[in-house]
Amino acid sequence: MFFHWLEKNPFFFASAISIVISFAGLIEIVPNFAKAAKPLVDMKPRSVLELAGKNVYMKDGCMTCHSQMIRPFKSETDRYGDYSLSGEYAYDRPFLWGSKRTGPDLHRVGNYRTTDWHENHMLNPAEIVPGSIMPAYKHQFTNLADIETAYAEAVTVKNAFHTPYGDEFQGTRAAWDAHKTKVLADAAAIAADMKNQDVKDAVAKGEVPEIVALIAYLNSLK
Amino acid sequence: MQSNAALEYDYSLAKKFTFLTILFGFLGMLVGTIIAAQMAFPELNYLLGEYGTFSRLRPIHTNTVVFGFTVSGIFATWFYLGQRVLKVSMAESKFLMIIGNLQFWIYFVGALLATVSLLFGVSASKEYAEYEWPFDLVVVVVWVLWGIGIMGLIGIRREKALYISVWYYLACFLGIAMLYLFNNMSIPTYFATEGLGSMLHSVSMYSGTNDALVQWWYGHNAVAFGFTVPIVGMIYYFLPKESGQAIYSYKLSLLSFWGLMFVYLWAGSHHLLWSTVPDWMQTMGSAFSVVLILPSWGSAINMLLTMKGEWNQLTENPLIKFMVLASTFYMLSTIEGPIQAIKSVNAIAHFTDWIPGHVHDGVLGWVVFMIMAAIFHMAPRMFKRELYSKKMMEQQFWLQTTAVVLYFTSMWIAGITQGMMWRAVDEYGNLMYSFIDTVTVLHPYYVIRTVAGVLYLTGFVMFAYNIYKTMTAGKVLTQEPQFRTPMA
Amino acid sequence: MDIRELQGYASFFMTIFLVIMLYGYIIHLYRSEKRGERDYEKYGNIALDDEVTSTPIEDKPASQREYKEENK
Repeated sequence: MFFHWLEKNPFFFASAISIVISFAGLIEIVPNFAKAAKPLVDMKPRSVLELAGKNVYMKDGCMTCHSQMIRPFKSETDRYGDYSLSGEYAYDRPFLWGSKRTGPDLHRVGNYRTTDWHENHMLNPAEIVPGSIMPAYKHQFTNLADIETAYAEAVTVKNAFHTPYGDEFQGTRAAWDAHKTKVLADAAAIAADMKNQDVKDAVAKGEVPEIVALIAYLNSLK
Repeated sequence: MQSNAALEYDYSLAKKFTFLTILFGFLGMLVGTIIAAQMAFPELNYLLGEYGTFSRLRPIHTNTVVFGFTVSGIFATWFYLGQRVLKVSMAESKFLMIIGNLQFWIYFVGALLATVSLLFGVSASKEYAEYEWPFDLVVVVVWVLWGIGIMGLIGIRREKALYISVWYYLACFLGIAMLYLFNNMSIPTYFATEGLGSMLHSVSMYSGTNDALVQWWYGHNAVAFGFTVPIVGMIYYFLPKESGQAIYSYKLSLLSFWGLMFVYLWAGSHHLLWSTVPDWMQTMGSAFSVVLILPSWGSAINMLLTMKGEWNQLTENPLIKFMVLASTFYMLSTIEGPIQAIKSVNAIAHFTDWIPGHVHDGVLGWVVFMIMAAIFHMAPRMFKRELYSKKMMEQQFWLQTTAVVLYFTSMWIAGITQGMMWRAVDEYGNLMYSFIDTVTVLHPYYVIRTVAGVLYLTGFVMFAYNIYKTMTAGKVLTQEPQFRTPMA
Repeated sequence: MDIRELQGYASFFMTIFLVIMLYGYIIHLYRSEKRGERDYEKYGNIALDDEVTSTPIEDKPASQREYKEENK
């Protein structure tokens, strides 16, 4: 008898379990893969500075309290802007939708907050938003963002997943050194709108504090 | 092979993993209590500079509880009951002992390093899969070693029939292996370029909506195969053994096993309702979540009916109390989950504190209670001493039960309040509350939750102390107890 | 036929197949007990009588085990 035999043969029993549990994944996830990975028309991948900011966002765990997923309800579109579309996330590795809104959604925060606002808010959230329970992130003003890793990430996704970065994105140190000036120029543009002198000095010296990268990323969320 | 006269079960590995269970349990719950307090009193975010913020500590809490406490508990009980239901001693195979010890040390060191990495913000940012790729590799090695251990023990077993608990442990092994591998697929950027940037950084193989789908297929089923399947396996052994009553219906246990295996995996997309995941997947996740009540309650009812005619034990034996309460909380959270997975309910509940509330009545009430009961049951047999204090167990039971009730009731209220406030509109259709209004209103509930955390943690410390005293000061037993665990 | 349609069919028939398997399993469980071929409930005793020296509910054939042990 089939079932009898199955229960007595650990190997086939284990195979049976594997088949039953992998079924759902095969049907649900695999067939839609190509379609769900399509970006919106003309969408550009994030710049290296923005990617570095995304990595600061991940490092400091912003997604534990902030979502990036505006659901199609009037109460949400009124509060946060247009509801989110699948194609907008096509270059996000990993996705950062979050699962808890201890703070507000950030998917379109770039539309209604400025560099200046973020600078003040990250230094002392409760001063800008009375009653806020968000911690201050002062260390982001002194820690340096890892822009080299962000560049390596851009090159990796370009090579592995054909994310449309330009030809100058090569995995060599020379190519990175050449691109670095562009990243520093982006950083200088952000720092120009900031008032913290230490940050301005660091950027002038060719360093990128975490806060600069993070603000570049937050401003790109539109 | 020597004569069977001297053959005894070898509990050395079960003991080692029991120590880890207690260690990681304490750490995980301590961090949990701290972050609960931080939400009520934000000033507490600055105790450790950048390393003490809620956002850094929260992944440490979840990962220590999941991969530290629960997984150690699974290993400890496996190395105890695996031998017993297969009627073969680990001492009969040198090879399996070596593999087991290797598993222990790699796991212990790996878990500590991984925790430190999270403290420094090295995070892949996918929930319950935050470890970066080198630590993922350690997890894989540990898991493979455990797999060899399970298969090896099954290979040399005396009892031909595989007891239902073994089924559940096998499923736990296979399920987690599959989920973990697929979800953590990533490319290390350092090695994909000419050594640029950080060695630890990697990018996910999936992007956007796909990544979300894979992640919640994983996230939901890590709960299934880490917090449900092995815990059901535990209770199917420890409840009958402690009470001296065979499972109420063995056939029902087999059926709910296959039901659970099939249905659970579909339900992952209920974490993504109203998102950009295709509609039919959301509906599928929603529908299967409701169907999931059947196999879950099949197991839970089976456990409760095992006590049929023996309910007096509930008042006499605190260990039975722990396990019956665990099955009751299992029923509660497996009815709560499907309710939250209904699309209209989810529209309110998602992103609110009701979700952590749900997780915690499952984990605090079901997982932790069952693992503690298992350790209470194993301790006198492993250390050959009576349990140190029955009175302390009773106190701990009531303290922690109160804590769980406080936790989930406060979070239910907090979640539904916030969910309703987010969508509340005035007579002209404008939003009534700004976001911060919906945060400040939650303060009292966050305070209640912190109190709940402190109570629960206190209970856990009492548990650890009780076990420690059992090891060192319990009355020595001359003979291994057959059913009911002796306690002073 | 595009992939979505295939997916629909695959999902539908696999579900039917697994439902049939599950019900077949239920029938198998009860029928084999009724016929007296097997007693599933006795497996519940594995947890109760679990000394290393106690007699297995279903022994692995002695010859098989000894054979393995000799070859260690």
